[in-house]
Amino acid sequence: MSVRSTLVSEIEAITRDHDKAMPPLTDDLVLLDTPFDSLCFALLVARMEDLVGVDPFSTLEVADLPVTLGDLVALYERAAVAAAA
Amino acid sequence: MTGPNPTEPTPTQRRTVIVTGGSRGIGLSIATGLAAEGFRVVAVARRPSEAFEAAARAAPDGAMHFSACDLGQTEALQPLVRGIRAAHGPIYGLVNNAAIGTPGLLATMPDREIQDLVHINTVAPMLLTKYVVRGMMAAGAGRIVNVSSIIAFTGYNALSVYAATKAASIGFTRSLAREVGRLGVTVNAVAPGFVETALTEGMDAAERGRVANRAALRRLADPEDVANAVAYLMSEKARNVTGTVLTVDAGSTA
Repeated sequence: MSVRSTLVSEIEAITRDHDKAMPPLTDDLVLLDTPFDSLCFALLVARMEDLVGVDPFSTLEVADLPVTLGDLVALYERAAVAAAA
Repeated sequence: MTGPNPTEPTPTQRRTVIVTGGSRGIGLSIATGLAAEGFRVVAVARRPSEAFEAAARAAPDGAMHFSACDLGQTEALQPLVRGIRAAHGPIYGLVNNAAIGTPGLLATMPDREIQDLVHINTVAPMLLTKYVVRGMMAAGAGRIVNVSSIIAFTGYNALSVYAATKAASIGFTRSLAREVGRLGVTVNAVAPGFVETALTEGMDAAERGRVANRAALRRLADPEDVANAVAYLMSEKARNVTGTVLTVDAGSTA
């Protein structure tokens, strides 16, 4: 499973578990404008660390915070590549 | 030779609990107590003590383990948590007990000592909790117990910085309980009074006597009393207790 598909399926699972209705998960989706709240986000970071073995948020500078789903996917893809290197 | 106790959990049935500073003093009592209650305890400290090794030998098979880490080296905390999960499975509980109790009048305390107190007693447990609580959130269950002190709310000469770190622990407890409550994770604090440990060895007999005489029960609490409070908060019986402080001080602050 690619980093992207893992991330998307986890977002779907978390929103399903927490009864949140999400708009279609496109790359330009602004996460702050969705019901995916900070707790969902924390849960996503925890699950991704388990599944992919990386946590890009532990060393992140504030300016790099992802805005869109595409930014988030890219952040995880970069972290996964860096971890594998 | 007797057969296995049918009520004794097997090593794989035991839920894993991390106890920081679990090699001596109150931490060792907490570790021993939780092992007796059926948990798989991983004590974290810089090095194991003879007392810990003796307790681990006496404990049921697979009940007490040790993981060496200098908690002040905060960049080691995320790898520590990963390592413990890999070796012992999902982490059900965390007891933030490790602390230093450096006394000193604020006006003359070296800056370095003040910073070390805050770093080890406040920053390190917050970061460790950050990495441990993620797994608990993902699992939808978990228990965090922060060992504070009655000095967080009473005041004691020459312990202002220590007191500040212990008060921080209570504020951290209450707000984190709000954050993670709806994911099934409880966060509580235990506030021991003066307890006979290496940390209070600096007090002379007369001072200990004065502290004991001020207590409603006219005695000091034991490390086992604190361990019992932690075991309760870690147990199913405390499933509806979160964001609270359990004082164990023989009535010193009553």
